[in-house]
Amino acid sequence: MLADDAVLFREGMARILTDFGFAVTGQAGDGPALLDLVRADPPDVAVIDLRMPPGYAAEGIDTAAAVRAVAPDVGLMLLSQYVEVHHALRLMTEFDGGVGYLLKDRVSDLASFGADVRKVARRETVIDPELVARLVARRRERDPLEALTDRERTVLALMAQGLSNVAVANGLHLAVKTVEAHVTSIFAKLGLAHDEREHRRVLAVLRFLRA
Amino acid sequence: MTRTAKPGAVPGRMLGSVLGAVTAVLVVGGFVLGPHVGNLHNGLIAASFTAVGLYVVRRRPGNREGWLFVATGVAHAVMFAGREYGLHAGPLPGASWIGWLGVWPLPIVLVLAGVTVMSFPTGRLPSRGWRPVVGFLIAVGVVLAAVSLLWPVEYARTELVAAHPLHLPGAAAAVAFYPVARAVGYPLIQLAWVVCVIVRLRRARDDESRQLRWFVFAVTVSASVMVLGLLVWRTPVPGALTVPLVAVAAGAAILKYRLYDIDPVINRSLVLGAMAAVVTLGYVTVVTGVGRLVDGHGTALSLVATAVVAVAFEPLRRRVQRLADWLVYGHRATPYEALARLSAHLSAPAGGLLDGICTTVADGVGARQVVLWTGPPDELRAVSIWPAAAPLPPPQRLTDLSAVPPAAIVVAVPVVHDGQFRGAITVTKAPGDALTGAEQRLVGDLAAQAGLVLELRASAQRLVAAGDSARRRLERDLHDGVQQRLVTVALELGSVVRLAAASGHAKVAAGAEAVRVDLLAATAELREMARGLHPAVLTQDGLEAALGFLADRSAVPVRLTVAVDRRLPSQVEATAYFVVSEGLTNVAKHAGASLVTVRAELTGAGLVVEVVDDGRGGAAVRPGSGLEGLADRLATLDARLDVRSGPFGTRLGTVIPCA
Repeated sequence: MLADDAVLFREGMARILTDFGFAVTGQAGDGPALLDLVRADPPDVAVIDLRMPPGYAAEGIDTAAAVRAVAPDVGLMLLSQYVEVHHALRLMTEFDGGVGYLLKDRVSDLASFGADVRKVARRETVIDPELVARLVARRRERDPLEALTDRERTVLALMAQGLSNVAVANGLHLAVKTVEAHVTSIFAKLGLAHDEREHRRVLAVLRFLRA
Repeated sequence: MTRTAKPGAVPGRMLGSVLGAVTAVLVVGGFVLGPHVGNLHNGLIAASFTAVGLYVVRRRPGNREGWLFVATGVAHAVMFAGREYGLHAGPLPGASWIGWLGVWPLPIVLVLAGVTVMSFPTGRLPSRGWRPVVGFLIAVGVVLAAVSLLWPVEYARTELVAAHPLHLPGAAAAVAFYPVARAVGYPLIQLAWVVCVIVRLRRARDDESRQLRWFVFAVTVSASVMVLGLLVWRTPVPGALTVPLVAVAAGAAILKYRLYDIDPVINRSLVLGAMAAVVTLGYVTVVTGVGRLVDGHGTALSLVATAVVAVAFEPLRRRVQRLADWLVYGHRATPYEALARLSAHLSAPAGGLLDGICTTVADGVGARQVVLWTGPPDELRAVSIWPAAAPLPPPQRLTDLSAVPPAAIVVAVPVVHDGQFRGAITVTKAPGDALTGAEQRLVGDLAAQAGLVLELRASAQRLVAAGDSARRRLERDLHDGVQQRLVTVALELGSVVRLAAASGHAKVAAGAEAVRVDLLAATAELREMARGLHPAVLTQDGLEAALGFLADRSAVPVRLTVAVDRRLPSQVEATAYFVVSEGLTNVAKHAGASLVTVRAELTGAGLVVEVVDDGRGGAAVRPGSGLEGLADRLATLDARLDVRSGPFGTRLGTVIPCA
């Protein structure tokens, strides 16, 4: 189910998602319309534009929260022209997983976008790599990231994007055991409390990177 | 409201009554015995100081200076009565002992009077540093008094009829020693209080300074009359008669200093005194000087002298008045100087136009306060005030302006530009001091200039606002238009890539994929441009989120503190954002810093924004620079860009007023 006020983009997205084996069960131009559709027939995932009428602010997040309230099982994928750290933090704090936050640009890479939508449907978390890259590259007074090895930094960035240990292992062609060792080492070096739930882990890492 | 007496007030009141009665009896008794010219001042000091002191203590029970006055008065009463008793021609019973009481305490009483003056108007010395001085004076007083107590060292001067009651050996040595010690001791006491008053006067601000001026004025008048009396009539009586003036002025200074303003009085006295001296001198010179050359034309010469004085009077008076104004109010610019200075103020680089107008008006008319108001007549907002340290008064209606504290406003001149009401200038002067015709004209001329400045300022504000809204609109158009189209095209391209790959056209797929990646790079660039125009995150989520983004992206580590608990006017937020943005850009480019501290905090004065780095400095507002643009932008919000740059870093700071 899709919600975006830009009709062309929405239609295009619906077509390629359909081509890609998704069933697009409804399209809406704003939050309330989407909410009506969700109430009538809850989908697996709702893809929502962050900036929608009437205020063109962060209506998408409010809509997502309303969807979560009426249909807790619906995965929520937020799309936006800009990715902002405070929005990501809010999504990680207010939602117990099953949310994604991506640049609209990502939709054009159909394979990876399709995979991300499926992850959100599985209650996993997806954060845009650009946002994570920005935070990892952030200059710090005394940079704790300097203590990490290059490999650990790569693992940290993937973790922040919401990837599970298994997904990280697949992405980097490593054994899951190795990734787990890296994660433990990263958390120890950064002084973070370990949490198995991915969105908690993302939140912890994002907060740490922002601090 | 119930009034409860302070503990100690009742005994204080009883003590006051007793001392008052004692003084009254002593002074009246002394006068009945026949006042002697050399003793007259003691009686007058006794009566006036005790009366004023008791009045002050009654009105302000806790006032230490009041009690010092009472002490001084009572001590003088004892001396006055004792001396009159001893001076009585037919010696009265016990005259030698009672008269003795009126003589020997003199040095101690002098020290007491000195300390009273030194403690004026608070009842406390100006600082702890004066305590050793007072200790030394007391020691001097006690030594002198002890000598005078034991031997008749003061009797020749005071002309007491009754003899000193003690007849101890060593009188000759004491009589030889005493005049020397007195010649050293008394000037020391006088010097101490004169220096003390001068020091206090120099340090005093506002109220205390006003109180001191009352007092110093009275002392000066009294001393002048004393000198005049001694010189012209060879008698201290006129001077002595003015001594109560000092006490009364001091009392008024303590209790009523806000009621009557002393400056115009001093001013008039200076003019009057100087003119009297000049006229007398001129007359005397003509009549005696020329009279000696040309004998026997007394009447004619008097006429000539009168004519000369009459002709010279007005130009002289004007000069003297100007001098007196300068002495009392400080430098007051001539209208020409004022206008010349205004243009200097107006061409000054950063902001301050409105302050410049207020300062110029104040200089030109010798005002106590000048306020520049702007807005419609039914809601005028104060935008600038002189003196700059004073707080801005709350908004007023034009018709209510004359009621604005601290004192009645002398004139409220409307500021009109191009036939439209733009605001008003109000001038407050010292009570009793009005604007002269020339000053009125000057304020009128400056109001016309102010109209131009207010109009320029308003148009600058409109320009900045228009620029901002254009940027916002452009960003919105880019976001909803071009960017949206481009991501849609990228999306379609993605689908082409997939189709081509699925249908075995690997080359087409690869080519289309390369185009898609390029397209996305262009989109990313466009996104950054749009953000630079006007960050959507600022409009939507406020300053904290927007500054957070800047900090994330800064090339130099940022320590960011934001304490803004509400949304501010979009102009203010945008300006604060651009200050930080420009600051961080400059730091990255030039400073070679290792850390930037960015602070945005909402305080009573407005939004404080500062960007501080630890780099090598060298920042300045140069023509055409980003900082100049910021300064202009800030000026439209009545804020000033403060740039301090040195070898240990640069601080870019401002306070943007916001309601």
